[in-house]
Amino acid sequence: MKCDKFIEALGQRVKILEVTRQYEDQVTALVELNDLPEAVRFLYYDMGGYLSTMIPNDERSINKHYALYYALSMEGGKMFEGDEIAQDEKCFVTVKVLISPESLVFPSVTPLVPACVWYEREAYDMFGLIAEGLPDKRRLVLSDDWPDNLFPLRKDAMDYRYRPDMKEHYMEPEYDFLRPEGSGIIDVPLGPLHITADEPGHFRLYCDGDTIIDADYRLFYQHRGMEKLAENRMNYDQMGYLAERVCGICGYAHAIACIEAAEKAINLEIPARAQAIRIVCSEIERLHSHLLNIGLACEVTGNYNAFMHIFRIREYSMKLAELVTGGRKTYGNVVMGGLRRDMTGQEIKESLRILHIIETQVEEVWDAVMDDQRQMKRWKGVGILDKQVARDFSPVGPNIRGSGIKRDTRYDHPYDFFKQVKFDVAVVEGGDVFAREMVRYMELKSSVSIIRQCFELMPQTAIIVDPKFHVKPENYSLAYVEAPRGENVHWIMQGSAQKVYRWRCRAATYNNWPSLRFQFRGNTIADAALIVCSLDPCYSCTERVTVVDVRSKKSKILTHNDLKAFSQTLKNSPMKDLK
Amino acid sequence: MMKLLDISKKYGEITHKYPFEPYKVAENFRGKPAYVYDLCIGCAACGVACPSNAITVQFNENKSKLVWEFDCGRCIFCGRCDEVCPTGAIKLSEEFELAVKFDKSAMIQRGELEVQCCSECGKPFSAKRLVKYSLECLSKANLGEKRLEEAKSYVSVCPTCKKTATVANFTAGKEMVIE
Ligand code: SF4
Ligand code: SF4
Repeated sequence: MKCDKFIEALGQRVKILEVTRQYEDQVTALVELNDLPEAVRFLYYDMGGYLSTMIPNDERSINKHYALYYALSMEGGKMFEGDEIAQDEKCFVTVKVLISPESLVFPSVTPLVPACVWYEREAYDMFGLIAEGLPDKRRLVLSDDWPDNLFPLRKDAMDYRYRPDMKEHYMEPEYDFLRPEGSGIIDVPLGPLHITADEPGHFRLYCDGDTIIDADYRLFYQHRGMEKLAENRMNYDQMGYLAERVCGICGYAHAIACIEAAEKAINLEIPARAQAIRIVCSEIERLHSHLLNIGLACEVTGNYNAFMHIFRIREYSMKLAELVTGGRKTYGNVVMGGLRRDMTGQEIKESLRILHIIETQVEEVWDAVMDDQRQMKRWKGVGILDKQVARDFSPVGPNIRGSGIKRDTRYDHPYDFFKQVKFDVAVVEGGDVFAREMVRYMELKSSVSIIRQCFELMPQTAIIVDPKFHVKPENYSLAYVEAPRGENVHWIMQGSAQKVYRWRCRAATYNNWPSLRFQFRGNTIADAALIVCSLDPCYSCTERVTVVDVRSKKSKILTHNDLKAFSQTLKNSPMKDLK
Repeated sequence: MMKLLDISKKYGEITHKYPFEPYKVAENFRGKPAYVYDLCIGCAACGVACPSNAITVQFNENKSKLVWEFDCGRCIFCGRCDEVCPTGAIKLSEEFELAVKFDKSAMIQRGELEVQCCSECGKPFSAKRLVKYSLECLSKANLGEKRLEEAKSYVSVCPTCKKTATVANFTAGKEMVIE
């Protein structure tokens, strides 16, 4: 059976205490705590794995321990031609360890596998589990003024409605940014809030003149505690809707991943027609999301003309979603066991018409954008994600495919109707902004073809199976969906009474952030916003800048107006009184 | 660059005149749920189905009315209520202009239904319309005369009294015969 090969190989490296199978392509191996780093490293580098997610869990009520699950997607290193595992052997292997509640310590995997860094930082924030040897022990998810010794996802920690009091802003502890050594380095903060940004995040760029030497960032200003909320008061019917609201753009991928994790945990097979329509809707989502990102990548570089055209086309994809699901953004049709809404012949016909428009017009505009040398110069050679860095940090989506690594969940672990559908994985070498946008363009075209194939192939079956199922407490399972930004992985452990025991939702961008630092290095400040944008949570920040003079340790905040006035008149330099 | 300008020329002006012209949404659009008070029987099926607790069906403080309440600010336009409502009293509409000016209470819609009191203990337990609706359904269900008469009396008994009655009958050795 699938996975056995990897378990066997792992067994020769470390002692495996127990092997359990969750689904045909998912197994979990329990190992000794001390063997954890070696087990994960072995699967990651020697056997060709990528880190999909890591789930800390409070299982004291089950086995008197905390547990960690490192889920690896076994697909091959993909660093060169042929460095890939055979299609029918690809699977997920999870390494599990138990941690005693007395010590709360586990050996960090990060020194061996850098991709684990965020996950292990989060394990401390949420559960108070300490990664021994983790190079970076700062807070990740919770705010800096969060009380010590309150670990929200522990089952006995707090009520989900409880909000600890905030500290006064002057009492708030400073976040420790990782600052490179050297004189003459200027800090340029971007964010946390900017009027045109979709999400808050604080980037600290360390610059020598115009060039970014290094960067650090603080995110999670928007942590909403959805996992805790779902565990406390939601049933599976409600969770799908909550998951859809994880993201403002690719929420549908979360809804499917969440519901499919619950379905897989009880081995529920949904009808083929429902599978096909789930794919259709998720590809529609990809259309609008990629058009959005390509448009913004033009806008950030000042190419408003192209931006407007791309958004004009994007409107068709929004219309398409409205036609098929009744909503422009939230499709709201996934329930456990299938779908709530079928497509009529009329809708399919109209969809095909809209798809044709999108296809021809995208080609037209892309052609014009490629023709524009000034645009190309802004994209090419900027924000390079090195192939080896990509291998070490497990990024996902167009971000890694732009670095010449063929990772696509739809191809590696075909879910739902993807077993029947044919498409080419878009891979572009280069690792720069241009490569990533090119990947997106190629995917626009393959999405259109995938939707057409689904319409052709989908059978006339029911769209929902009778959701009378028996939820088995303590069963767990992974589900994975290729969202526009990359693989979304949801992990659900079921509890009693139709509730989840633990829901871990890992969005694509979570895996893309840690390597961003390397993408910044060596670029200019002017490209910083573009680089962040090309990861696809878009960002720009010129409105408000803090100028810090490192030598005199003085700082001053410049407003947009100050800056503008100075740029226009070149009088009253704002730097004057800093000297 | 010139190519882009050519494209602009080719497609001309495409900006929609909205809000000066109405914006036409797709058929089956999931807009604000529209409530028809006259059809609502107060069965609370929508309240149970609603994933975001936008709809609640509760007695008011002195239990003189059964209040159906919808908070549009909580609604996520999923359409579960539409799916489960037995009488079609709530249906998703095409309305999408939902902004209110400062006053959040403007997003709340209510319907007060008359309560049905229990024929045994006199306490309110349901809506009059729901009891009427149940009887209508039963009368269409091809039941015998006698059975229908019985139904008439037990639909107006509250669950607590029904329970006590069953226990009393049972302990007294009487058996209920259902024909
Ligand atoms: S549409 Fe959904 S969220 Fe809104 S009231 Fe109906 S069930 Fe509740
Ligand atoms: S009749 Fe319809 S709207 Fe009224 S309470 Fe029942 S389900 Fe809700």
